[in-house]
Amino acid sequence: MDQKRAFSKDLIVLRDIESVINNITEKLRQDVLIDFKRSGGVVGISGGIDSSVCLALAAKAFGHEKVLGVIMPEKDSSPESEELAIELAKKFKVKTVKEDITGALTGFRCYERRDEAVKRVFPEYDPNTYKMKIGIRQSGLFSNLPPVFTLTIIDKEGKQQDKILHISEYLQIVAASNFKQRSRMSILYYHAESLHYAVIGTPNKHEQEQGFFVKYGDGGADVMPIGNLYKSQVYQLAEYLEVPASIIERTPTTDTYTAVQTQEEFFYQLPFNLMDIYWYGYENGYTPGEVAGVMGETETRVEALFKNFERKRRTTDYLRMPPIREYYRFM
Amino acid sequence: MEVEEITIREKVKDYIQQATFIDKDKIRDDSLIFKEGYFDSMGFVLLITFLEENFNIKTNDSDLVEENFESINSITNFILRKKNN
Repeated sequence: MDQKRAFSKDLIVLRDIESVINNITEKLRQDVLIDFKRSGGVVGISGGIDSSVCLALAAKAFGHEKVLGVIMPEKDSSPESEELAIELAKKFKVKTVKEDITGALTGFRCYERRDEAVKRVFPEYDPNTYKMKIGIRQSGLFSNLPPVFTLTIIDKEGKQQDKILHISEYLQIVAASNFKQRSRMSILYYHAESLHYAVIGTPNKHEQEQGFFVKYGDGGADVMPIGNLYKSQVYQLAEYLEVPASIIERTPTTDTYTAVQTQEEFFYQLPFNLMDIYWYGYENGYTPGEVAGVMGETETRVEALFKNFERKRRTTDYLRMPPIREYYRFM
Repeated sequence: MEVEEITIREKVKDYIQQATFIDKDKIRDDSLIFKEGYFDSMGFVLLITFLEENFNIKTNDSDLVEENFESINSITNFILRKKNN
């Protein structure tokens, strides 16, 4: 029987990265080429670490000529995202196509619906002169109280205003913004189907398990090669695969709202290296006491943190569930 | 206990029971409703909206601390404090 290892900060460090990569690429070939009978893979590339590693893995699994990188900017995207995506594709000799989804989003009234809700909170908000973003109140993760969402607007002079978001405005802003991920998913499937390829999804373990993805948006894909990897492990793979340093060094952002917003401030509330190790402790049944001792925290705070993790996992189960169809069985 | 306090307490208790589908008898006035996991973050935002709309109070960033929301007792006291300010 396996002895559970004593909790430590380096439990999740990958020791043999090459064999991890070989396992992933071998399974990608099995799933996509043999089981799905598709000829290659389409990856939406954003200049972020996750999609970059997925593109590199796909190129290694299928050969660079059997991978298409799709760059899908819209009017709120940072220009840096596109530049980095191009740099990445060049590095791995992968062909790219650029699809600007601004027109599609305008057609869905994505921006209009979002701005309408923002204006209900801040009547002075003008999307032409203000930037906006949603954030969470930062003090929450070690507390028993769940986080609340805040809306921030920033004017041309950089003056920032924040307000707690009420439910209807929060839901409308999120629902409108989710058109972005769902439009991207549609474009990816267009290219995948027209090439007889599979869509390679880019969410990592945290995004999957904590529900930081859009159902049928970035959560819509045929395979998710890094779906079981912690963020710090994704970085280990990125280094090994020689993803450009400009991508590795970039702070992960949502690139969803007009104001710059890190993933940490929007969702995770903890730096990735800490999130990884706490999550490992939580999901592997280490007690708050065992984890607190190693992390220099109090047991009470780690207990609250684990409860937060549990709540996050439970409340996002719906996102991970396929449609339920067992309503009536004809015998 | 004042009439106003009793009314607030009952309204809060009714809301929590309706929102969580938990038997009213199982939620005591001092049950730690967040620690025990009755509410998620969406539930918390809905609770704040309910309190603001029904008791005509405004919640500020600094109000969002455990002591104000951890139980029916603390929510009732929070509303009373807000209304008296």
